[in-house]
Amino acid sequence: MFNKIEEYLDALKTEMIAADLALVQDAQADAREHLLLALSAAREANSGVSESDALAKIIEEYGTPEETASAYREIERRTSPSLKQAVKPQSLLGRFFGVYIDPRTWGSLLFMFITFVTGIIYFTWAVTGVSLSVSFLILIIGIPFAILFLLSVQGLALLEGRIVEALLGERMPRRPIFAQPGLKWLERLKALVTDKHTWISLIYMVLQMPLGVIYFSVNVTLIAFSLGVMFAPFAQLIWKLPMITVGMDRIFLPYPALVLLAIGGFLTLTLTLHLARAVGSLHGKYAKWMLVSE
Amino acid sequence: MTEISTQTKKFQKELNSGTSSLVLLSVLSRSKEAMYGYQIAKMLEESGPDFLMMKQGTLYPVLRSLEENGLLESTVEPSVSGPPRRYYKITKDGRSELTEWLEIWKQTKKFVDVILKG
Repeated sequence: MFNKIEEYLDALKTEMIAADLALVQDAQADAREHLLLALSAAREANSGVSESDALAKIIEEYGTPEETASAYREIERRTSPSLKQAVKPQSLLGRFFGVYIDPRTWGSLLFMFITFVTGIIYFTWAVTGVSLSVSFLILIIGIPFAILFLLSVQGLALLEGRIVEALLGERMPRRPIFAQPGLKWLERLKALVTDKHTWISLIYMVLQMPLGVIYFSVNVTLIAFSLGVMFAPFAQLIWKLPMITVGMDRIFLPYPALVLLAIGGFLTLTLTLHLARAVGSLHGKYAKWMLVSE
Repeated sequence: MTEISTQTKKFQKELNSGTSSLVLLSVLSRSKEAMYGYQIAKMLEESGPDFLMMKQGTLYPVLRSLEENGLLESTVEPSVSGPPRRYYKITKDGRSELTEWLEIWKQTKKFVDVILKG
């Protein structure tokens, strides 16, 4: 028996304890939307009905938390994640060079370059928003402003989640978190301020800037270095340029050394891509940990 | 007795997992406007008394997976009273998929009917 919608949602959360956090959040949003609408319809039809009586009938039609949880699990099992390598090479060599055809590699790399831009935007937004919210609090527009800002943080967190899922392949929420309806401005602000999720999202946004700068510089450096080493031998072969210049001495390398140099550059590039893929997958886990509310 | 009822339930669930996609897609293909989950559930409830065999809560994950596969698209719209609602609309892909599904359904239905009659 459930006396309140929140009780049902809690029970649903408990049922889905082993499920993916993002899936839990989606299921909660769907259930909340349905139950609230059904409850207000039931009240319209019969204004004297108590919440628990109305809910009992609604839940009988909607399904117990157990049934609902199993329906979500079933669907998720059939839906494959967005980015997955089509063929997994078995041999060691295949796995090493397979990084070039793995969509996650390129997704991670793209994500890290995008983070350079979005990180700066998030950082500016977060710092400006917090400073303005705090200083506006003494004015009449203070509380609406703070609410709008904190809501925008949740919205940006959802957006970042979508980017993370598309590029890093980590399952993230597809539905926004809905606030309880019927709250007053002050209660709404209180709910936002006491929600741990808001603050962790804000910290995530601030940290995206330094991370974006680090990702960008490391990637650009490593890729430029690898490509440089890889194609340097052609400078000697085609344009007769020296490989090393020490003072006035121009040193040309013998052919075997040039071949080794090119191979070395190619291996460094491959290793860089491995690094990018690994960091991308780590960032996906970190983003999920920070942005998905329990 | 309970043994039979769980088996029956499982059978019903397995049947539903295929038919619910077809039903939802067909409902949305016939509706001129985008519909939200609760509205679809109410409509189905009114059109058939046996609909209670399928729990309303199971419709939502199906809608979601249809959307992920590009057969439906959705928008969230705030409402004056209550929570924001997610409105679903069928896509072009969804319509062409549906014609194929209907054909499969007709054949399956015919086949099962023939077998059951013996």
